[in-house]
Amino acid sequence: MIELFNISIQLGKRQVLEQVSLKINKGEFVYLIGQTGSGKTTLLRLIYMDVFPDRGNVIVDSYSSSTILPRHVPFLRRKVGVIFQDFKLLPDRNVYDNIAFALQVIGAPQRTIKSRVLSVLTRVGLHHKRYQMPQRLSGGEQQRVAIARALVNKPFILLADEPTGNLDPQVARDILHLLENINRSGTAILMATHNYDLIRQYPHRTLVLENGNFSREINPEELA
Amino acid sequence: MRLLFLLKEGIAGFKRARLAATISIATITLSLSLIGMFALLVHHLSAQFQQTYGRIQLEVFIDPAIDSAQRQALEGRIQQLAAVEAVQYVSPEMTLQRFQQDFGDDLLTVLEGENPFPPSLQVILKKEYAELEKVEAAVEAIRALPQVDEVIFQEKFIRLINRYFFIGLIVATTIGATIFFISTMLIFNTIRLTIHSRKTVIEIMRLVGATHFFIKAPFVIEGLLQGLIGSLLASGALWLMSDLLRAFFLPGLTIPWMYFLFLCGTGILLGLLGSYFSIGKYLKF
Repeated sequence: MIELFNISIQLGKRQVLEQVSLKINKGEFVYLIGQTGSGKTTLLRLIYMDVFPDRGNVIVDSYSSSTILPRHVPFLRRKVGVIFQDFKLLPDRNVYDNIAFALQVIGAPQRTIKSRVLSVLTRVGLHHKRYQMPQRLSGGEQQRVAIARALVNKPFILLADEPTGNLDPQVARDILHLLENINRSGTAILMATHNYDLIRQYPHRTLVLENGNFSREINPEELA
Repeated sequence: MRLLFLLKEGIAGFKRARLAATISIATITLSLSLIGMFALLVHHLSAQFQQTYGRIQLEVFIDPAIDSAQRQALEGRIQQLAAVEAVQYVSPEMTLQRFQQDFGDDLLTVLEGENPFPPSLQVILKKEYAELEKVEAAVEAIRALPQVDEVIFQEKFIRLINRYFFIGLIVATTIGATIFFISTMLIFNTIRLTIHSRKTVIEIMRLVGATHFFIKAPFVIEGLLQGLIGSLLASGALWLMSDLLRAFFLPGLTIPWMYFLFLCGTGILLGLLGSYFSIGKYLKF
């Protein structure tokens, strides 16, 4: 599914990750915690091949970072959904168009686009707001749109980089609840977060990244 | 469907980044107008120069004993030379008359009633033979003909004209190339800023798995349209400017239609290449 073998990567002059190995199984929910600058975002970027390791190998589905051709990277990304703390929505398109855009740019037929977008909007509970512009939505709703956009391609894994960082606690719990539902339907989730309360409320396998390396795998109840 | 989407996205880019697109078009228009005006002025001055100084004239003095049939045969042989455009006979009487016009009737008194001028042929060379080497070759060819006594031409003047024309050409080319270079950089940077203002769109396209072609195409189409609109506006501005110049300063000014084609081609090419290379920066993988 997803495997990182002895990954080392330097960005600029900083050694971000050193000898990191990791395996995420099909349908698994994994938290990634660590201090700011510990390499969480870089690890996620390695998985959707936005950056490549200096040493080691990343295997994502049938793709390997050491052998993948640049022209095949987009096809890998269609199997991996990504969401961010700042949502990254297009402010000049409504909710429906923001999600449809993900299918339009990969050349999906119009009929497929319509049915998939409406289906995923129902799934994230925003069907009734499909014609709203993103700036008219709350933070939680905007993150739901971002999740819908990430899911519309039916990825096997959803990478979430601090998805609740901009949200108040209740909305953050709603988003986690949604992510759990998505995970239950078979999509694996790898979520980088600082929100230990959420991890305690929705416990899953939790990896601690320290000084560019996995120090340990902890029990969520251990989190202070 | 895909092509339609790319076209729609390309055109919609104008609406989504109105200010950036307007600045981009204005930059293209101004830059191309400047290039067009400069090229037009250089073309006009060069044409005027060629018109005035470009036709070299030779004086071919011929044997005074030559009869009419022989002279006509000689004229025919000179006319057949590749460098020659026209040959005109100038009789001693015509030369005397010309001198009289220049120096007054007293000339005949000075010459004691005699006409000392030999018959001659005025030979006009073709425009493309205005260079010194070619003129000298033509002169040698004429000198070699029988019954030709002497051929004279304004060698110093031709040398001077050739030199200044050459210097003028270098100066104009340097200025033109500098204007073109600065304009190109200006256009490229403006387009780069336009694309930078929409880097979120590019980032999202990458994240959801759009191929590089699919990401680039709308921006390239947008750049092409900006280039086309900018160049059409520049063509309009050039046409208006040339009209004003013709009316007030340069009556003989004409714009070859090739200039408009050149401007449109340059505008489209700069818009297209500018957006293609600018977007490449955001597409490593």
